[in-house]
Amino acid sequence: MLKAIRRFFGEKPSSQVARRRMQVVLMHDRMDLAPDVMESLKNDILGVLSRYMEIDQQSIRVDLEQGKDYTALVSNVHIKRVYRQAHSS
Amino acid sequence: MAGKTIVVTSGKGGVGKTTTVANIGTMLAKKKYNVCMIDADIGLRNLDVVMGLENRIVYNLVDIIEGNCRRPQAMIRDRKFSNLCMIPAAQTREKNAVKPDQMKTLCEELAEEFDYVFIDCPAGIEQGFKNAVAGAQMAIVVTTPEVSAIRDADRVIGLLEAGMLKDIHLIINRLNHRMVKKGDMMSTADILSLLAVPLLGVVPESEEVVISTNRGVPLVHQRGSRAGRAFTQIAARLNGEDVPFDEEKGDGFLAKVARFIRS
Repeated sequence: MLKAIRRFFGEKPSSQVARRRMQVVLMHDRMDLAPDVMESLKNDILGVLSRYMEIDQQSIRVDLEQGKDYTALVSNVHIKRVYRQAHSS
Repeated sequence: MAGKTIVVTSGKGGVGKTTTVANIGTMLAKKKYNVCMIDADIGLRNLDVVMGLENRIVYNLVDIIEGNCRRPQAMIRDRKFSNLCMIPAAQTREKNAVKPDQMKTLCEELAEEFDYVFIDCPAGIEQGFKNAVAGAQMAIVVTTPEVSAIRDADRVIGLLEAGMLKDIHLIINRLNHRMVKKGDMMSTADILSLLAVPLLGVVPESEEVVISTNRGVPLVHQRGSRAGRAFTQIAARLNGEDVPFDEEKGDGFLAKVARFIRS
């Protein structure tokens, strides 16, 4: 009964809370695992971007941002020049 | 190599690795396969008590590897099935008494002789884990529906995959169907969506498991046990049989009647 009242006031079942939390935690754990993966991810992003624009190779930063219920990949790149036409790789 | 070498692992301790090995091993022996179970948890031996074979131990895994005995001397035959045996862990040694390539050689030798070789992996992801995994072709990851067990399972799956062991299957142990229904426990679907590994089976939470370990008699010997039935199904799936998964209704006739009256 108490539970029914709590649910009425918008409290989520604990299993849902657990699942949501685990989604975030596991993603973070998996990303955390390998610095070399981050490095190759960075290089791949660089590769794709340079087909469209000239970028400052040194300036690229790739970070994982941990929010309350999400994990985001945030990348900052300095653009020097944008090509008129995409260069094929 | 004729037989299959399977490591049972979890990361977190106390989720039921040893119980799983004992029950699946016994069930496959019941199906007339030759089965060997290795307790790789050096220093914290347990498979012997779960199997009820603790009084028969003379030699152990480390003795085999160091050549203190011939291999058959350390292999203890089950009380009921002569085609089932186990190699106990050393109790007074440390995990680094064994090296991964020694374990690998032993597993290869055993696979010539047995249809199934199960390796009961220690908790954790240190040396003992690496030893246990070294000789395996396939891994069974055991987890419970708790956040700590699931997180550790995910980590272990990552390590296995990084170590080129890609044949990974999941067992969910101690699922309480009543709590799942109330929304107070993650369901099988929840866990599968998180871990993304093929499911081998779900074992319901049950007092029978405690009772059977108290007695040192694996559950699959008992009739009418729900957890035992789950292990039987798991063993059959491992053996390549097509066993459909039960729906998560989780209760018997009385509960169905109760639901009928309520609706």
